Amino acid sequence: MQLNPSEISDLIKKKIENFDLSTQVHTEGTVVSVTDGIVRVHGLSQAMQGEMLEFPGNTFGMALNLERDSVGAVVLGSYQHISEGDTVKCTGKILEVPVGEALLGRVVDALGNPIDAKGVIDTTEFSPIEKIAPGVIARQSVEEPVQLGLKSIDAMIPVGRGQRELIIGDRQTGKTAIAIDAIINQKGTGIKCIYVAIGQKRSSIANVVRKLEEHDALAHTIIVVASASESAALQFIAPYTGCTMGEYFRDKGEDALIIYDDLTKQAWAYRQVSLLLRRPPGREAYPGDVFYLHSRLLERASRINAAEVEKLTGGKVKGKTGSLTALPIIETQGGDVSAFVPTNVISITDGQIFLESNLFNSGIRPAVNAGLSVSRVGGAAQTKIIKKLGGGTRLDLAQYRELAAFAQFASDLDESTRKQIERGQRVTELMKQNQYSPMSVAQMAVSLFAANEGFLDTVEVNKVLNFEAALQSYMKSEHTELMANINATGDFNNDISTGIRSAIETFVKTHSW
Amino acid sequence: MSELATLARPYAVAVFKRAKETDSAKTWSKNLAFLAAVLSDKSISGVIDDPKIGKSALSTLLLDICEGQLDQEGSNFLKLLIENNRLSLIVAIATIFETYKAEDEGSIDVDVSTAFAFTKESKQSFNATLEKAFGKKINMKIAVDSSLIGGVLVRAGDQVIDGSVRGQLQQLAQRL
Repeated sequence: MQLNPSEISDLIKKKIENFDLSTQVHTEGTVVSVTDGIVRVHGLSQAMQGEMLEFPGNTFGMALNLERDSVGAVVLGSYQHISEGDTVKCTGKILEVPVGEALLGRVVDALGNPIDAKGVIDTTEFSPIEKIAPGVIARQSVEEPVQLGLKSIDAMIPVGRGQRELIIGDRQTGKTAIAIDAIINQKGTGIKCIYVAIGQKRSSIANVVRKLEEHDALAHTIIVVASASESAALQFIAPYTGCTMGEYFRDKGEDALIIYDDLTKQAWAYRQVSLLLRRPPGREAYPGDVFYLHSRLLERASRINAAEVEKLTGGKVKGKTGSLTALPIIETQGGDVSAFVPTNVISITDGQIFLESNLFNSGIRPAVNAGLSVSRVGGAAQTKIIKKLGGGTRLDLAQYRELAAFAQFASDLDESTRKQIERGQRVTELMKQNQYSPMSVAQMAVSLFAANEGFLDTVEVNKVLNFEAALQSYMKSEHTELMANINATGDFNNDISTGIRSAIETFVKTHSW
Repeated sequence: MSELATLARPYAVAVFKRAKETDSAKTWSKNLAFLAAVLSDKSISGVIDDPKIGKSALSTLLLDICEGQLDQEGSNFLKLLIENNRLSLIVAIATIFETYKAEDEGSIDVDVSTAFAFTKESKQSFNATLEKAFGKKINMKIAVDSSLIGGVLVRAGDQVIDGSVRGQLQQLAQRL
């Protein structure tokens, strides 16, 4: 945004005109010590827990420890210019960040300041970062799906609007890839996305932003960044910031999807802050409230009913439910899910997508372990057609896993066992999917139908993906109407079933792959 | 600072309770002020920290210095502090004691900075306004600070009422 000098002076004039001169009443304290971003302040007897404190040089902090004679606070941002004896003011406000539609398509830091050089964010609404999750009366059960666009996940581990589904796995297993695909697939669905990057390299964040831009998915996305180079305090509050921005959409009857990438690093940042505040360490040196740290965050992801939306919007939005779906990401070390933070978050969420490095390395991408991954509430939200067709896939894979060990003795096995193994191999192959190519419900339905009805049984295992690609392009060009119908209704009935069957039969007869 | 206050509080509370019992808050206030003055003297503070001087020698020395200024309870208190190695707390104890005393008397210490010196009438009316605002008797300490540019800045403990032109300019700067 370019401004000419006269406009600037006009703006300033207006601001001065509207400036109300009030006498300020506040409480003050003095900085006693500054250590690694932790400031001890003497005085401030009126400070609230979580209150924003004002330091000299337009720096803000957050009061975390309220003690008898002093307050322990974290500085949000750089603290090099703060020294002993500086005056600290109470602001009387809990930390707030900007919210609103204007944030969509923007990259902001943990305090909501833009960092993408696209100018100021034009919003007047602010909201506190720590809020209490909606109560039981305000909630509604999960019954609409969020399509992630990945066959293996949407078919076997469905995610519903308002659900919390954990993505867990070692480093380099494609956790972020699933999240990015999920965001790309929300294009045109009306689901707003928030991607919170915590403790990541700036280069990887830049990559994510670029990829989203390339796939035209940035326009419905807010990216909240607390990179590895930012202070632990900012990394600790970033998820709450993102959640507040997502709640804005939920509370006005829209749907939003938030991705916390990743909560392990947030727990590390919180551990650092807690230890520097001299809170007693517990297991793995995490403070006692690390469970509450994540549970209060993930509780805020929810589906709220129409009455609550009406109440929150003051009657402006009627008859619409709102939802905030959360996909927290946890990075495990050496596949150890029994470490402290992973077990905590597994127990909080409504299911997990478990990614394994040996699957990833053997070329099964997304590297979803179908046996260990579950979705506790998503089944109720699944599209009818995917539910019907995906059930078979799950069963095929489960049976295959039991028998996979015998696969090398194929010649000695009886007919039915061999068939099951072969089906399993083909379904496993079919579950592979390239990055950045999410599929629609109809595309998934066709692929799953082909597998269920045995059309793949005559295809060689290493040709399965070619077969699928050819089939998809055939369906796209020759059966546009059928596909559009499936996408629109999501129903599965005899008409659709025979439609798909005859289409695939014609394809098998007339095409090669 | 805050750690000192934590250590000093039990002593201050004990002294204050004793003073209430014997109705001798004024004497105690004088005792503590005198002790604080003595111990913040440079030559004395060197002696206190000297490891070569034992506790008994130190107590005779200090009691000699305070001869005639402390009553019996005051010297007992001094001995107790020496015994517990807490002589360095005396200033903090005196401060906390004074706040308790002020609270009990229903008065409050207020530091007022003003850009221009008060006239007698304005001072009186200002005092009355503050008394109304705090609901307590006001012990006003007035300092003239021309860097405020105009108006007044009132400080009562942690609370600050900023009605100065400087503060308003800062507000404006932040808004812009």
